[in-house]
Amino acid sequence: MEEIILKIIIKSLLVIMLIIYGSIAFTMNYRRWRKRRLNLIEETFANVTSFYLYPDPNIEPDLIKIQRTFRKIGIVPSKPRNVQYLIDLMIRTQRSILGENYLKLKTLFTQIPPYGASANKLGSKRWYIKARGIREIYEMNQSQYVKELIGLRNHNNIYVRREAQIGLIVFLGWKSLRFLPYLKRQMTLWQQIKIVEKLNDLYPEPDLFYLRKAYQSEKPYANELIMRIIRKFNIIEDVRYIINFLDNPNFDTRESAIYCISSFFLNEADLSEIKKKFYNISNIEQQLQLLKYIHKISNEIDLVFFKDLLYNGTDIIKLSTADILWNNGYKEEVQEYYYHQYAKQNDGEMVSV
Amino acid sequence: MEFDFSYYIFWTLNYFFLFYGLLLIALYFFAIILSSKSVATNKRKARFLQVNDIVSATDIPSITLIAPAYNEGQTIVENVKSLLALQYPFYELIVVNDGSTDNSLSLLIEKYDLEPFDSTFITQPIPTATVNKIYKSRKLQYKQLTVIDKNNGGKSDANNTGINFASTELVLCTDADCIIEQDSLLKMVRPYLEEAEQEVIACGAAIGIINDSIIKNGVVQELKLPKRLIPMIQVVEYIRAFLLGRMAWSEINGVMLVSGAFGLYARNRLIEVNGFNVHTVGEDLELGIRLRKHMEEIKVPYKMVYLPETLCWTEAPNSIDILVKQRDRWARGLWETMALHKNLFFNKKYKDMGIFYYPYWMFFELGAPIVEFIGLLSLIIFGLMGLINWNVAVLLFICVYLLGCIFSTIAIFIYVKNFKHYDSGKEVVELLLAAYLEPFVYHPVLVYGQIQGYYKKIFSLKSSWGNMKRKGFSSNP
Repeated sequence: MEEIILKIIIKSLLVIMLIIYGSIAFTMNYRRWRKRRLNLIEETFANVTSFYLYPDPNIEPDLIKIQRTFRKIGIVPSKPRNVQYLIDLMIRTQRSILGENYLKLKTLFTQIPPYGASANKLGSKRWYIKARGIREIYEMNQSQYVKELIGLRNHNNIYVRREAQIGLIVFLGWKSLRFLPYLKRQMTLWQQIKIVEKLNDLYPEPDLFYLRKAYQSEKPYANELIMRIIRKFNIIEDVRYIINFLDNPNFDTRESAIYCISSFFLNEADLSEIKKKFYNISNIEQQLQLLKYIHKISNEIDLVFFKDLLYNGTDIIKLSTADILWNNGYKEEVQEYYYHQYAKQNDGEMVSV
Repeated sequence: MEFDFSYYIFWTLNYFFLFYGLLLIALYFFAIILSSKSVATNKRKARFLQVNDIVSATDIPSITLIAPAYNEGQTIVENVKSLLALQYPFYELIVVNDGSTDNSLSLLIEKYDLEPFDSTFITQPIPTATVNKIYKSRKLQYKQLTVIDKNNGGKSDANNTGINFASTELVLCTDADCIIEQDSLLKMVRPYLEEAEQEVIACGAAIGIINDSIIKNGVVQELKLPKRLIPMIQVVEYIRAFLLGRMAWSEINGVMLVSGAFGLYARNRLIEVNGFNVHTVGEDLELGIRLRKHMEEIKVPYKMVYLPETLCWTEAPNSIDILVKQRDRWARGLWETMALHKNLFFNKKYKDMGIFYYPYWMFFELGAPIVEFIGLLSLIIFGLMGLINWNVAVLLFICVYLLGCIFSTIAIFIYVKNFKHYDSGKEVVELLLAAYLEPFVYHPVLVYGQIQGYYKKIFSLKSSWGNMKRKGFSSNP
């Protein structure tokens, strides 16, 4: 009985093996075939684009012919992967072209297939299709869909809401920051980076009115984003916003604050505020970073502050403070401290120094 | 009476092996499902964060790459050159010369025009062996290079020194003799950029075997399958381990081991746990477990992740004796780590790690070689006693063998489907053949090496780190 069962299992396993072999062979062949197909799409797209951008003066570009050419190579709604590849090519090309040709290219893209492919993706239940649709909408500058993006800014999928929020920045610029206090879900570091970059690329003139409206946000990610914006646009008049977060209880918020403040040169009042906040930071590594910054922007060594750290700081802070003092001409103070330590250690033995 | 007792043991063992085997097969099938899902999700996510976007970004976390080196004079200059060429905008390289007795340091000083700088007040949050000097290059093109010369303290100690001196948010620990893909840092940083709800404390990526491939200027010019059977089987073993094993664990946030040859960590967390443990040879697994324990204790949601892409290449043991030494060391490391953290065993305080992940490691990673060894012994003993039905035994063996082949074939299938290495028909056939020979020519050697390691631990026999002698990478293999 056992032998019969085992023989059946062996036969089943052999069938499974054959199926996997078939899958491997199919995958390898499909990949080769697919590569050829994509090359063909790329080649056709390159020919059409170059012909449209740099036309022969004697030949008028024939859009009907272009549409037929694309259909012939498989750019049809029933083949979404081909359509997707063409869209990716369009985005890549649009990104690398500027000036008059950029506008010409935009005109071309509105007149050739696919039509409405990106907007249709917004209705998909799969997060990666929806998010891709949003990205295509803002990359291809289809501002007519901004309302749909507003509706997706709090989507439960992180990629969908990220792309929607970036899209809002692209279309609305600084105005979109007014949404910041109303965001309900987490924001990733990449999202913050991307928002700051898009603002910088598309709206380089800061609009402080909308930025300051966003200051009402209480969420840590919103605070971090605002600090990054202040840093990127070098808004020195609002540097206090960053200083306020230097001793925030949240590690990441403090980290962002220390990172952002380090690109500013501050006045004495702000510097003394930072020195006060220094003592409230619980993480030694962050204290070290801030100490280096304080030293970097100080015109002259604040001996009271540094000596206090030398005598009362943690071992690591003491060493770093000693390093700063020693290399800035305060060798005697450092020596005095170490003699003092030596005397304290040997107090019981009554060793005089 | 004596016969009855043997019969009782025979059936008890039989049922134990059956239960153990079925559970393992079920876990492997579960791993296939999880890893397929994980690889697909990773691919989808990667579309939204491409390396070109990251390389041009300005606010991304800075990374320090720490490369400990001990007597690597033959390859150190080339390897450092390769590490300096990595693509990442905010990146530093710390080479820790761990008391080399060869000319490694003088070669580095000469080639990279290094000068010592003042280190009177160096701060070391993690205690390490004495640091002698710190060097920086006078040349602008090597400004991101720091070389630390310290007394010998072992690889973990050297890594800890690098962690101390790093001033970046993330640190990547690697071996000085690994070949790292040029865009690897850009890919490794992705999880740190994309995660919001859980803190990413460590990230690893697949490691590939590079024996007999063509390397030029520290870059893999042409990837070839190893010519010898032993390293070729290791290619399959690594594909299976990283693609099925680690990716499956990553999907359920169960990664406990990020390979010491290539792991990116949050520096602040490393300092909080005091870095690598210098008293174990399984320092990477030990660190992974300690980091997870720490995060559980401070009650911060966390994640340890794995990327399916092969971003680091290493040379695998070419011969059986070197392979045995390597697996002996790995087995000792595993034993030590499991013993160090035995309080995790079914400990509800550590949630999934205590209830599932640690017991899995105990039963199926630490326990598997022991079970196999006992299985072999009982086959011989009960065979001699005439208790085994050989017809059934042979059929059972074929079943188990075919199952093993299916797992390896699926791993190769997932690899071929998702990655472009080894994509010719000839290479795939060679990989499949190597996988099918593995149970006969390779696996017994592994079990021998592992049992040897356990034996040394049980009887407290002294053993060295067991460094493998490398053939070294050359431009013309």
